[in-house]
Amino acid sequence: MSALPASGRGTARLRASDVAAALPLAPRNAAIGALLAYRATISRLYGDVCRYYPSCSAYAVTAVQQHGLVKGSVLAGARIARCHPWAAGGQDDVRPHPTFRYDLTPHGFVVPRRKD
Amino acid sequence: MDFLGTILWPLKWVIELILVAWHWLFTAVGMPAAGGLTWMLSILGVVVVVRAALIPLFVKQIKSQRAMMELAPEIKKIQDRYRGKRDQLSREAMSRETMDLYKKHGSSPLSGCLPILVQMPVFFSLYYTLSDVKRHADANLGGVGALTPELTRQFNDAKLFELAPFHETLVNAWQTQPEGWVATVVTLLVLVVLMIASQFFTQLQIISKNLSPEAKTGQAYQMQRIMLYILPFAFVFSGVFFPLGVVLYWFFSNLWTMAQQFFVIREMPTPGSEAAKAREERLARRGKAINSKGKVVSMAEYEEEQRRLIEETEKRKAQQPKRQQPMGKQRAKKQGQRPNGTTPGAPQGPDAADGAPSGSK
Repeated sequence: MSALPASGRGTARLRASDVAAALPLAPRNAAIGALLAYRATISRLYGDVCRYYPSCSAYAVTAVQQHGLVKGSVLAGARIARCHPWAAGGQDDVRPHPTFRYDLTPHGFVVPRRKD
Repeated sequence: MDFLGTILWPLKWVIELILVAWHWLFTAVGMPAAGGLTWMLSILGVVVVVRAALIPLFVKQIKSQRAMMELAPEIKKIQDRYRGKRDQLSREAMSRETMDLYKKHGSSPLSGCLPILVQMPVFFSLYYTLSDVKRHADANLGGVGALTPELTRQFNDAKLFELAPFHETLVNAWQTQPEGWVATVVTLLVLVVLMIASQFFTQLQIISKNLSPEAKTGQAYQMQRIMLYILPFAFVFSGVFFPLGVVLYWFFSNLWTMAQQFFVIREMPTPGSEAAKAREERLARRGKAINSKGKVVSMAEYEEEQRRLIEETEKRKAQQPKRQQPMGKQRAKKQGQRPNGTTPGAPQGPDAADGAPSGSK
C-alpha cells in the first residue's frame, strides 16, 4: 500500500452550515470511506503488489473524488484490469475532472468548496 | 437468480463442466456416483485446474524477481537519495521514481492487483453452484450447464465422509438441526479450523522467513504482523456462512498456495531474507554458491568471479584520476617553483609549471 498522492489530499473540513450542500456528495464519500477502510486493513496485509503509482486503491480513491461514484468506479475497474504481471507499470494518475468544484479533507473526503 | 449470479453465468458454466468432468472420470474408474469421496475429489480437481491455470502468473512473478537483482544498485541509489526524508511528499516522489525505474527496466517485483482478484469470481461461481444444488435438486432441476438434474441429485445426496452434505452451512445446520446435524457441525468446524490454520501458516512463513531486513523495519511490516492475527477471525465469519463444498475448495486452495510458497521460500527466496541465508548455507554445504547474476555455480567458479570482480574494482580505482587537494595560494606558488611539482591531474607539463610562476609575478 502506498500513501495517497498529494492530489488526493486537502486541508478543508466539513462545516456544519455545508451539510445540506454536501448531501449530493454522500455516495462518493461513502465509497471513499469504504476504500479507506480497505486500505487501512486488507490492503496492508497484502503489502505492495500494485505495478503502478499510485496503487490501485489510491487510484480508486482519487478517481471517485474527481469523477464521482459511477465514473470513478468504472475508472478504478479499468485500472485494476490493466494491473497485471505483464503490464509496463510506472506512473498512472487519474486525469483530474476539468471543472472540479469541491475541496478535499486531509483524509481525502470530498466537501463543498466555500466562497471564502 | 440475483444480479451477481447472472453476471457469473459463464464462469458457473465452466466450473460445472470441470466438476462434472472430474466426477465422470472418478465414476469411470469405479467410484460411486453419489459417494462423498467422489465429489470431494471432484472439488479437489477444480482446485487443481484453476490453480494450474494460474501457474503462468506465478512463473512470471518468479522471473521478474530474478531480474530485480540486476536492478538492486539503482534502487539503492534512489533509496539513498531519500534517506531520512519521512514526509509524505518525499515518499510520494520516491515511489514515483522507483516505479519509473521499473518501467524503464521492464521488470518489477510487483505482480499487480489482478492476480489477487482473479480467483474471486471463480470462488463466487462455486459458491452459487453449491448453494443452488439443494434448491435445484428439490425442484428436480439441473445447473446452468453440464450439471444435469440427475448429477445435481447425486451431488445433493453425497456426504463428505458420509457425515456432512456439501451444500450445508454451519449456521443452517445449527438452526434447522436436521438428522445427524452434530456430525455435520463437527465436520464443518474441523474444516474451518483447518482452512484458517493453513492460511495463517502460509502467511506466517512469508512474514518470518521471506522478507528482506529493509521490509522488516517499516510501519507496513508492523501492520502485517497485527493483521496476521486479526484476519483468522474474519475467516471464522465467512466459514460460518459458506457451504461445506466452498470451505473445502478454500482449504484445498490454501494447501496449494502453501506448497507453492514453500517452494519459493526454499528455492528462490527474497534476497537478504532469512530464507535466502538458509539457502546459501545449504548450497555451501554442497560446495556451491550463488554468483552475482543469481545463478547457482560451483564454489571454484564463484571464487573466480569474486576475484575478477575485486580486480576490476581495483583497476577502476587505479584508473580514476586522483582528487587534487585544494591548496592555498602560497602553497601553490611553492609547489609550482619545485621542478617536479605537478600532480597527475594537472593539465600542464613540467615546462609549463616552471614557466607559470614567472608569468604570474
